[in-house]
Amino acid sequence: MTKTLTLHNNTFILHPSGAMFWEEEDLLVISDVHLGKVSHFRKFGSAVPQKAIAGNFQKMNEVIAFFEPSKIAFLGDLFHSSLNKEWLFFEHWLDQISAEVILVEGNHDIISPLKYEALGVFLTPEIVLKNFLFTHHPEERAGFFNFSGHIHPGVKISGIGRQQLKLSCFFKSKDQLILPAFGEFTGKHILVPQGDDEVYVVTKKEVICLND
Amino acid sequence: MNQKQLIKLANDWFKSRSWKSFAFQKESWKAFLDGKHGLLNAPTGSGKTYALWVPIVLDYIRQNPDYKTKHKPGLKAIWITPLRALSVEIEQAANRFAQDIGSGLTVGIRTGDTSQKLRAAQKKQMPDLLITTPESLQLLLASKGYEKTFKDLNAIVIDEWHELLGTKRGVQIELALSRLKTVSPKMKIWGISATIGNLQEAREVLLGPGSEAFQNSVLIRADIKKKISVKSIIPEKMETFPWRGHLGLHLLDEVVPIIRKSRTTLLFTNTRSQCEIWFQRILQKYPEFAGELAMHHGSINKETRLWVEQAIRDEQLKAVVATSSLDLGVDFAPVETIIQIGGPKGVARFLQRAGRSGHQPGKESVIYFLPTHAMELIEASALQKAVRHTVVEDRIPYLNSFDVLVQYLTTLAVSDGFFPQEIWPEVKSTFCYQALSEEQWEWLLNFITQGSQTLQAYDEYKKVEIGEDGLFKVNNRAIAMRHRLQIGTIVSDAVLAVKFLGGGYIGTIEEWFISKLNPGDVFTFAGKNLELYQIKNMQVIVKKSKVKNSRFPSWAGGRMSFSAEMSELLREEMFVASELEADSQQNVSSSTSAALDAGSVEKSIELKAMHNIFQRQKRESIIPKKDEFLIETFKTREGYHAIFYPFEGRFVHEAMASLLAYRISLLSPITFSLAFNDYGFELLSDQQIDMQQVFDNNLFSAEYLMDDLQKSLNATEMARRKFRDIAVIAGMVFTGFPNKMIKTKHLQSNSQLLFSVFRDYEPDNLLFQQAFRETFEHQLEEGRLRLAMERISEQKLVWKQCEKPTPFAFPIITDRMREKLSSEKLEDRIKKMMAQWGDL
Repeated sequence: MTKTLTLHNNTFILHPSGAMFWEEEDLLVISDVHLGKVSHFRKFGSAVPQKAIAGNFQKMNEVIAFFEPSKIAFLGDLFHSSLNKEWLFFEHWLDQISAEVILVEGNHDIISPLKYEALGVFLTPEIVLKNFLFTHHPEERAGFFNFSGHIHPGVKISGIGRQQLKLSCFFKSKDQLILPAFGEFTGKHILVPQGDDEVYVVTKKEVICLND
Repeated sequence: MNQKQLIKLANDWFKSRSWKSFAFQKESWKAFLDGKHGLLNAPTGSGKTYALWVPIVLDYIRQNPDYKTKHKPGLKAIWITPLRALSVEIEQAANRFAQDIGSGLTVGIRTGDTSQKLRAAQKKQMPDLLITTPESLQLLLASKGYEKTFKDLNAIVIDEWHELLGTKRGVQIELALSRLKTVSPKMKIWGISATIGNLQEAREVLLGPGSEAFQNSVLIRADIKKKISVKSIIPEKMETFPWRGHLGLHLLDEVVPIIRKSRTTLLFTNTRSQCEIWFQRILQKYPEFAGELAMHHGSINKETRLWVEQAIRDEQLKAVVATSSLDLGVDFAPVETIIQIGGPKGVARFLQRAGRSGHQPGKESVIYFLPTHAMELIEASALQKAVRHTVVEDRIPYLNSFDVLVQYLTTLAVSDGFFPQEIWPEVKSTFCYQALSEEQWEWLLNFITQGSQTLQAYDEYKKVEIGEDGLFKVNNRAIAMRHRLQIGTIVSDAVLAVKFLGGGYIGTIEEWFISKLNPGDVFTFAGKNLELYQIKNMQVIVKKSKVKNSRFPSWAGGRMSFSAEMSELLREEMFVASELEADSQQNVSSSTSAALDAGSVEKSIELKAMHNIFQRQKRESIIPKKDEFLIETFKTREGYHAIFYPFEGRFVHEAMASLLAYRISLLSPITFSLAFNDYGFELLSDQQIDMQQVFDNNLFSAEYLMDDLQKSLNATEMARRKFRDIAVIAGMVFTGFPNKMIKTKHLQSNSQLLFSVFRDYEPDNLLFQQAFRETFEHQLEEGRLRLAMERISEQKLVWKQCEKPTPFAFPIITDRMREKLSSEKLEDRIKKMMAQWGDL
């Protein structure tokens, strides 16, 4: 059900949830969860079902139980908007997590860093480790392979009988891998693969490489 | 003055203008002055404005005998029109009478176009007659102290009620009336409607079923019979007639002589893009029409539209290419000829358009029908019959539209607040909510106050708050403002304003079209070729372009379905064709007369023109007879096609395709792409359908119809689309607004996402369920579907395995608007598609 990539002699496992696990570093990478989005909408009078809040946390718990990482890195847009009471759910959730949590800041992350630090979350504009660069926005930097989010990549595929599907995906180009949005209440942006691009679509159960 | 004297006053005025009042006008005056409510059935251009405005003025004179010297201020009457464009016309007519007889009454307009300044002035001092739209009326209910504004209201007239009935704007009117009945106790309610099938029901919806107003009401019919002559445009050589397509440009050369021959011609198209294309192509080929040809559709800015309308009246134009934006109101005397391009999809619409010509009493209305593809000739033939026998459709009113009720309750909470126990009986008295249960009412109140049914930890939902005294009220100013901005957006698609780089507003365009373009791309809009410069603050900034090849924007909502009446006429024509084509080969006439009613066996010129196509159809397949249900299968590069021909109209076909695809998919995993038009539907797959299994398992059965439809994935997809409007109307999605910079980025979301969240987490939500109900009642037309299935079960199934697509199949299989349905695992489908890539 997962897919394994080897990059610069390191092993990365792509998970159907949209998360990625770096085996050598015991690091789980998750992008664009957009926590607090449901509460934000509700606060402004749009009655999005409150139960949807639990969905994101449950999904995170499942993927953590699967990989049992010692570190978790969020590649930005962990929270959708300004502080709201969903932060309290996040606090409770962190209490149950034994892993170290790092947040690479994204454009939606406007909550004060002090708030994160008080919960023991480490904030950084980017992570540089071995030949790998982790950012929120996709970036090209000589000598590094870049992991990022922000785009919410998706892809459109078609077949005989005028069939068509739009699916979330990991989108890989030569020195770059863009992770799909992990959050429940998020959309996707359709990309068109060119040349050497590799596309790994995610379904509820599987990661499937379209280039195989 | 007594009633007799009052009516004499009006008659004298008519005489002074050398007009003669019609019987229906006098009847309306009398009924109104007797204190009745009512519905007036009168066509456009018949003097219907005077039928109701005159008695409103007379009633004022009666109550204020010293009216000449002493004007009593305050709002006395409201005139609701569904189209802003019509308000000026009504204002002029109303002013004419009010001033001529020296009533001292003032007339004012209040719509989305009214300036802030004028609105503020109106709030201080309302005109005596206010001409407005359903949305603007709702907005008045959303302003503080509205009860005072309406307290002396004596009359409300809902013009073009047939256009509002069967829409959610109609529901808005029902709710507004339910409130006004309480705050304006003297108010008389009148509707004006063109001829529709369910006029009595239209009156009931307007006045409230069983209400006091309904008991004390009348239905007045103008009974103005118009002679209408329908002519089809048929080319000399049928061989060149295309089998598919919807533009009809191949007949452009035949249209030009018709335009030249008459004073002014209106060309009606079914979509705005078709309108743009026709306008462009006529000018390209016949540049001499420059300056004499104009275009009119709903996305073009108001000034241009008003200019076009005035130019038609002044006879400055030879022809106007238009969409339904010119269907309503406005009297254009110089219009002599109408050309309908492509099937009008309904008899009422066709008649309405035909009625736009020959406005002088006694004059014949001439309408040309231009079929865009060969099969539409059958439609033309059917329309001829419809006009002869005056068959007209019903307009189906909405029931239990929770979204509109959520919007309305929030509106009341935004203004002065409301007590549920006061509003409940009012809401319950409307047609739309007559079956609303107390549980549902409680649910809705919880929804607007808590955003859910039970209080949850950490929740910060904020919209309507309940005061200590039990008053439901919106206290947050930002929420109130967003709600007011949202009221007007019952119209569904997100639109952006189109402007020139140097300034100058051209019109509005749908977001989804423009989002497909990149800066530098050229598209045609309002008859001009424009280059996209940039999109900024919900505005599309463009430059003029000299590039010849450009893209035409398409607007959603162009797809309509045949009405039940139209479908039946079409089937009859098909059977006539089938019999006659059989005759022309065998020369046996006895079977024909046995199968058809005496006298109806007449081969129209349209059917004659189709002879070659029918022959070809017969060579490849058959023309189904009355007792036959035709199924064709064939294979092309695209896959395996199966075409079914119920001749029931697009919406019924959509449902039937969905149902059948679902039932077949239960037999074994399979994926379908579905297409449909008004004649039939297609199931396309990468696998062959085992047709024998379809017959053996009796898959056309009407049993478990609803159950199966609900389970078919396709119904979910349709509901997803319905949900879009519901989410906007109920205020769950904030769309943002053209010309208004509002920082709402974090609040913008896609209703599709919202739909999925409801499906996964709150499937019992009434608004979510409403999306399904609307799909079944209004889109899939459950009732018609059932009747159609029962009809088919009586028919003989004829399965033709064809070599290639038949003339009947062609327009369907080339349709690009498709639905999908699958019982295969997603993972399997992806892998199969990947394998197919390898093959290509």
